[in-house]
Amino acid sequence: MKPLDCFHCGEPVLTDTQFTTCINDKEQPMCCPGCQAVSKAIIDAGLTNYYKFRTEPGSKQTALVPEELCTFSAFDLAEVQEDFVHQDSDTSTVSLSIDGITCAACAWLIEHKLKHVTGIVKIQVNSTTERALVTWLPEQIKLSAILNQISAIGYQAAPYQVDEQELLSKQNSRKFLLRLGLAGFATMQVMMFALALYAGYFTDLEVEFRDYFRWVSLIFAAPVVFYSAQPFYFSAIRSMFSGRLNMDVSVSIAILGAYIASCIATINGNGEVYFESVSMFTFFLLLGRYFEQNARQKASVSSSNLHKLVALTAHLITDNGAKETPAKGLKVGDIILVKPGEVVAADGHIVDGTSSLNEAMLTGEQMPVCKTISCDVYAGTINIEQPIRVEVTAVGQEQLVAEIIRLQESASNNKPRVALYVDSISNYFTWTILVVAALTYVVWKIYWPEDAFWVTLSVLVATCPCALALATPTAVTCATGIFTRIGVIARTPGVFEKLTQIRHVVFDKTGTLTCGNLKIESTKMIAGTDEAQVLAIAACLEASSLHPIARAFEPYRDPKLSVEKSQNHIGQGLSGEILGQVYRIGSATFVGVTDITDNTEQAIFLANESQVLAQFSLVDTIRSDAGDTVKQLKKIGCLVSIASGDTSNHVEEVANKIGIEDVNKGLSPEGKLQLVRRYQTQSNVAMFGDGINDAPVLAGANLSIAMGSGAAVTKSSADLILLGDKLSRYTDAVNVAKLTEKIIKQNLFWALGYNLFIIPLAVTGHVLPYVAALGMSASSLIVVGNSLRLLKVRL
Amino acid sequence: MSIIYVLIPIAMLFVLIGIGIFFWAVKSEQFDDLDRQSVSILFDDDKPVNTETKHSETKDSTPS
Repeated sequence: MKPLDCFHCGEPVLTDTQFTTCINDKEQPMCCPGCQAVSKAIIDAGLTNYYKFRTEPGSKQTALVPEELCTFSAFDLAEVQEDFVHQDSDTSTVSLSIDGITCAACAWLIEHKLKHVTGIVKIQVNSTTERALVTWLPEQIKLSAILNQISAIGYQAAPYQVDEQELLSKQNSRKFLLRLGLAGFATMQVMMFALALYAGYFTDLEVEFRDYFRWVSLIFAAPVVFYSAQPFYFSAIRSMFSGRLNMDVSVSIAILGAYIASCIATINGNGEVYFESVSMFTFFLLLGRYFEQNARQKASVSSSNLHKLVALTAHLITDNGAKETPAKGLKVGDIILVKPGEVVAADGHIVDGTSSLNEAMLTGEQMPVCKTISCDVYAGTINIEQPIRVEVTAVGQEQLVAEIIRLQESASNNKPRVALYVDSISNYFTWTILVVAALTYVVWKIYWPEDAFWVTLSVLVATCPCALALATPTAVTCATGIFTRIGVIARTPGVFEKLTQIRHVVFDKTGTLTCGNLKIESTKMIAGTDEAQVLAIAACLEASSLHPIARAFEPYRDPKLSVEKSQNHIGQGLSGEILGQVYRIGSATFVGVTDITDNTEQAIFLANESQVLAQFSLVDTIRSDAGDTVKQLKKIGCLVSIASGDTSNHVEEVANKIGIEDVNKGLSPEGKLQLVRRYQTQSNVAMFGDGINDAPVLAGANLSIAMGSGAAVTKSSADLILLGDKLSRYTDAVNVAKLTEKIIKQNLFWALGYNLFIIPLAVTGHVLPYVAALGMSASSLIVVGNSLRLLKVRL
Repeated sequence: MSIIYVLIPIAMLFVLIGIGIFFWAVKSEQFDDLDRQSVSILFDDDKPVNTETKHSETKDSTPS
């Protein structure tokens, strides 16, 4: 029988018809209790339409989140809220970043679920940025209740702080849209009158009407010149102050010059007007800039969503028990309680309790580290098994996380900046144009003074570096579009040229070459029992644990078995009673194995009271496309190395399997940075990483790539983010970048060629200003069309 | 021909209204989420009955 697919998330159902939900009078299969609960909540809220209109399946509701992680009560504290909640006289507003939005139907679902909740004034969900803006009445409903409502239908919401850069780019992009729209409207009108004027040359338009059309054109062109074109003037002024000329200088001169001259001609009633050239010119230039701006905004939005607030609160131990306090209010010497599943709020050392902590956020290693009294713990790490009491030793900027971020910042300041092609060209180009225009004016003024102005103007318009200005941005925008389609986010400008210059690729191991989660590689039966049953027993024992090892056993769970008297032995293993038998699972010493034959690090054993039953070998699975990617990289002439913080033999094993010879292990964050610096003396280096410990080395490499599942800090320092965690995306990105480079070169070649061709004609007075404007527009259209070819690339 | 002295200002007025609507649309975030707005017309509003079941559901789910 063909396995059923979960109606909610689309994944195969392995539990038969154990979980179902009645949707539109039909029992639909569900893969897990999570999906069942979520779909029930959706149906109960009368939102069946979600299933009718969604275009993507929902996200899988993996094993119900432990209760500790599910409480949002921390967000209700006034001190915590003041960071991200905007207070009005009687309402509060918060921006939430929401995980799990797959299509527009999700946005509809969330809006309608929350719209009728008492106390919520307004909710607006944006499916592109995966965010929601919620306004509510604090007296009637708490923020935590709102978050709970959202999580009931299967989305994880968390408040986030918008970083300044994103806010700025959003404002900019909106302003650009206004300028662009205005220029578009006005250009249409001015072109209309321009057509009438041109037609008038042949049909003897009466002077009275000609002047009328000119005045109307003047009025329509004014907002374009004074509002839409502003960014060019500011950029021109800035560049002149800094002693370099960019293209905006000649653009500004052409726009203002042509407009002023046309105004004079209109007022005096003789000469030529160029309002249509001015408007069209501005519109095309803005269009190119707007596309570029938009792509940049998209990139900054997706990285800002990662800045979720973690460890907002801590349980401070006071004389009258534990009290929830904001993490930023902690002082050195305070004792805090960290419950299982919670994030440690500050650096400190354990004063009571033993537990294992997941430090993946700092080290990239998924295996928890066992810690007991007087061991150091760090802010941002997650407590897994038992409650511990921690004495705070460092807060705020003194913490290890802050230290690593500082290291990363100082590395990124030293980053070699490769200037964009056009920047270097435009300086000379603008100088040339200005000198040529000035010479033209002087020469014509001496010999034919009455034609001097319009000839100079046609030189400026015809040679307008519009095509040149569009050459790079349009190609980059199209390439960014493809990147988004294949799941690659370019975060910094200049990524495209850097990608083509990389000759050495360095990988971190855990989370980059490997998936960062454990899988059972082999099961060795010691006593002759049934393998499936042994796995089921092991899975049942592990079911109560949050340890990553336990997750490896999850697929083998049998819902019929249940465990009693389950006990957690920190750093060793678990014990419990199943069907009247006592079982122990864990390390060799814990279950009493003496003769260890297989020396793999990740071997765990299952035993009953009398004997050892089985040995499970666990491995961190290598990404399925790692081998192919390495082969591809070697084919395009890249050196490939591993730089890992891990000291175990697993590093060599992984390297062998995927064919990497150069292995460096046991490196600290500084060590990795030094290694990359050494490689950099020979060639440009790209670094792949995912943990926060990789942040400094990522900042130091010529090009840094973070995996989509990695730590937020890593992603905010990386140039490229690979979503979907496919390494092969990198080689695709290199191919796109190579093509982009080729197209940029073609564009620049064309734009320069056109300008060199038109300059002599314009200087000698053979190009009328309107012909110049047409030629200029045609050359930009050709450049844009050439760039659009990029969108047709199939990977 | 002198009718254009009247018609063109009227046309200008229309353009001004158009620009006004465009500015309003941009400022009220109509262009921020193009996916969402394009399909929102497909969704029906909730039936009034559902609102009541919803409230009972809300009460049920909060304490758990």
